[in-house]
Amino acid sequence: MLNYLFRRLNLLLITALILSIIAFIISLWSNQARTVQDVNVFILYLDYMGNILQGQWGISLINQKSHMQNGLIAFSSTLELCLVALLTSVIIGIPLGIFSGIYRNGILDYTIMSIALIGLALPAFWLAIMLIMLPITFDMGLPVDGNISPIYDIPMITGFQLIDSLLASDLYNLAAFVDRLTHLILPSVVLSFFLTSEIIRLTRYSISQVMKSNYIKAANTKGLTVIQIVFRHVLKNALPPIIPQLRLQLNTIISIAMTVEIVFDAQGSGVWLLTSIKAGDYLALSAAVIIISGFILLSSIVIDILQMFISPTTRKMLYADK
Amino acid sequence: MRFILIFTTALILSGCYQSESSLKDSLIYCPESKALSFNPQISHDISSLDATTHQLYNRLVKRDPTTHNYVPDLATGWLLSADKLSYTFFLRQNVNFHQTDYFTPTRHFKADDVIFSLQRMLDQAHPFHSVNHGMGYYFFNHPFTNLIKDIVKIDDYTIKFILKKPDITLLDNLAAHYSVILSQEYAQQLIAHGEPDKIDFYPIGTGPYKFKSSNDAGITHYLNHAKFWGDKVSVNNIIFDVTENNTKRYAKLLTGECDIIANPAPSQLKQMSEKANILLSSEPTANILLWAFNSNKIPFTEKKIRQAFSKAVDQNNLLEAVFYQSATATSTLLNHQSWAYNRRSTDIPYKPQEALSTLQEMGYDFNKKITILTPVKNSLFNHSFHKIAELIQANLLKIGVESEILFLTQTELEKRLLSGKYDTYLTAVNGKINDPDSIFRPLLSCDSTVLEGNSSQWCSKEVQSLLNLTLSESNFTTRIKNYYKLQEIIQEERIYFPIAHVLRMDAFKINISGFWVDPFTGINFQHVKKTEAH
Repeated sequence: MLNYLFRRLNLLLITALILSIIAFIISLWSNQARTVQDVNVFILYLDYMGNILQGQWGISLINQKSHMQNGLIAFSSTLELCLVALLTSVIIGIPLGIFSGIYRNGILDYTIMSIALIGLALPAFWLAIMLIMLPITFDMGLPVDGNISPIYDIPMITGFQLIDSLLASDLYNLAAFVDRLTHLILPSVVLSFFLTSEIIRLTRYSISQVMKSNYIKAANTKGLTVIQIVFRHVLKNALPPIIPQLRLQLNTIISIAMTVEIVFDAQGSGVWLLTSIKAGDYLALSAAVIIISGFILLSSIVIDILQMFISPTTRKMLYADK
Repeated sequence: MRFILIFTTALILSGCYQSESSLKDSLIYCPESKALSFNPQISHDISSLDATTHQLYNRLVKRDPTTHNYVPDLATGWLLSADKLSYTFFLRQNVNFHQTDYFTPTRHFKADDVIFSLQRMLDQAHPFHSVNHGMGYYFFNHPFTNLIKDIVKIDDYTIKFILKKPDITLLDNLAAHYSVILSQEYAQQLIAHGEPDKIDFYPIGTGPYKFKSSNDAGITHYLNHAKFWGDKVSVNNIIFDVTENNTKRYAKLLTGECDIIANPAPSQLKQMSEKANILLSSEPTANILLWAFNSNKIPFTEKKIRQAFSKAVDQNNLLEAVFYQSATATSTLLNHQSWAYNRRSTDIPYKPQEALSTLQEMGYDFNKKITILTPVKNSLFNHSFHKIAELIQANLLKIGVESEILFLTQTELEKRLLSGKYDTYLTAVNGKINDPDSIFRPLLSCDSTVLEGNSSQWCSKEVQSLLNLTLSESNFTTRIKNYYKLQEIIQEERIYFPIAHVLRMDAFKINISGFWVDPFTGINFQHVKKTEAH
């Protein structure tokens, strides 16, 4: 067990090293004033890492705030969007996936899978632009722009505006929170379109695999109803393998979220990076590499460890390895 | 699990979501671009004027929106001396400057503030004259600079303007956006702190709203100025939310994320006018879209060639294809609402056959490719230079004239214009004050450079003397006569091919009333009212 943890952390360190080198190269390249030939690159790298660890990531040209602060605020907004989209997709995707898994190759399965395929095939940014046209074509009053209405002046505490707006409920009651939620609806619909299709596909495959196994056949002969079989036997075995698959989707979701944010002008990491690059502020790029890939790295390890706790099969694999 | 529950309920509840701008004391205005600064003395673009002139500041005099007469603003009245060389202004008392978290005024408005604000433009030795310089080559307005000899303080509430020569445009100039009154006390405080450049970005004025904050996402907050000397405002918060994309601006108006939007796309106007809850406001402006012929370059040195080219272009087609109903065709440089507009001026006919035969008569070289310069960046009043240029190109091709369109960025364009190596130039100009001279002089005067507006490189003794004579003429009828004559000359010489006056359009929700747009100084929210949306 400890051995496993150690191995995971080892992997983390090596990947982090590679990432920090990439970030360093970007910052070196953007900082043209400094001549590289004079100073040893290795010393420059140590210098850079020292600054990063002390939280000195450089100052933004746009608003004279630290890149770390800007980046974290922007990324928390992106993360919020991703989490909301993930939640919606899980709520919609898993039941649909279960249905099509159970009735594999039935009409229901074909219908669900065709819709899911459309979801995979549609480019997210195109869908986002189409959704912006909604209020024009139909009289639909969902907000299409920004994170939250500029009317609400919410003090930033956690960076997650859903939580911040709840904390500011003494100022605006729940109006700010509701406003933030409504601003999240359209972007998260776009994002969850892709995500739901993916979850349906994964769940369907996993369920249909389990449905083929002998113990399900045994349960069938015992005379259990489909519902009983699904809740007692199928779900417990079918759902855990989906989690590591979802982990792989994490970076895809984040990058799609960034494009969607740009279309909806939501102040997240997509808009932050775009405006920084437009302003020639390339240090923001290296900050983004550290923040975003750092997050993906850490979360994938956390998921691995979680998986180890919840799923006996992974644990078994671990011991067998040993 | 609980969170899932909250989320799904929220999703369902969003059906009964109340549009956010239904809050009665906040108004969201969505302009197309960000203000360059918060001082109309140094930023003359429409976005900056909208964001500043009427909201943050007052001027000594202003123009009444309905009668178009000069009415007192920070002045209570004025007297003109018998020799017409000096104006005495009496100032309003007990006028408060804004109190914000960066400035607390200790005194009321007085003559020193007027002198400080106006001398900033006139006096090169003024400590703020060069502050935030370089926001455009046309830094301060030249006519104003040449107008005033001195401004004298008689007492705290009386000042005297001494003119260089009798000139009736002083009131026009004082009502212009660049004559706003800043706080001298604030400026002194800034100098003491060593940060004078803040004066244009953290503004202090006497207007009905005060500046609260502005962020890099383009959102600016204004708060009600509680100690404002005039009528109390009914909407406490004004928010400017810059939205560049016009489809999105329209969508935001429909979803209630904006209460008023600026410059709806011409193609959306028809659909907007059919919506029951949206109203459109259109205001004629002094801007003009024109096609300049470089009168220094062969073949455009010839009057007949210039006339032939303007006959070859179908003006109505241009208007229909590009502007729908958001512009009015024109044959002169002046707006039809202007008092100097010559009503007898005839339309420019579209006669390609006639144009062709004139060109053949004049021995025009049809192998020559003429250049049409256009700016890459569309100005606020013109959504599509490239489309217009292409239509002109197509029209010219019909009579066998080949042309080449050059889209240039601002710096490239300036270089090219200064070099004089161009045949024609498609551009738009905007009058700064309600005086015909502010349109004619930049376009036609020998003293005006190509960057100041004289893009046809025009210089003739007749036009120049007419311009100078009229500026010092105080007899109104003679001025009108002179300007009529000037327009006839322009018509005859065809120095410019005027295309259209583009209307200033704003679209707003039906529950908004009381805002108005001054074509010269921007939008005014002082009397805006907002009722409950439903």
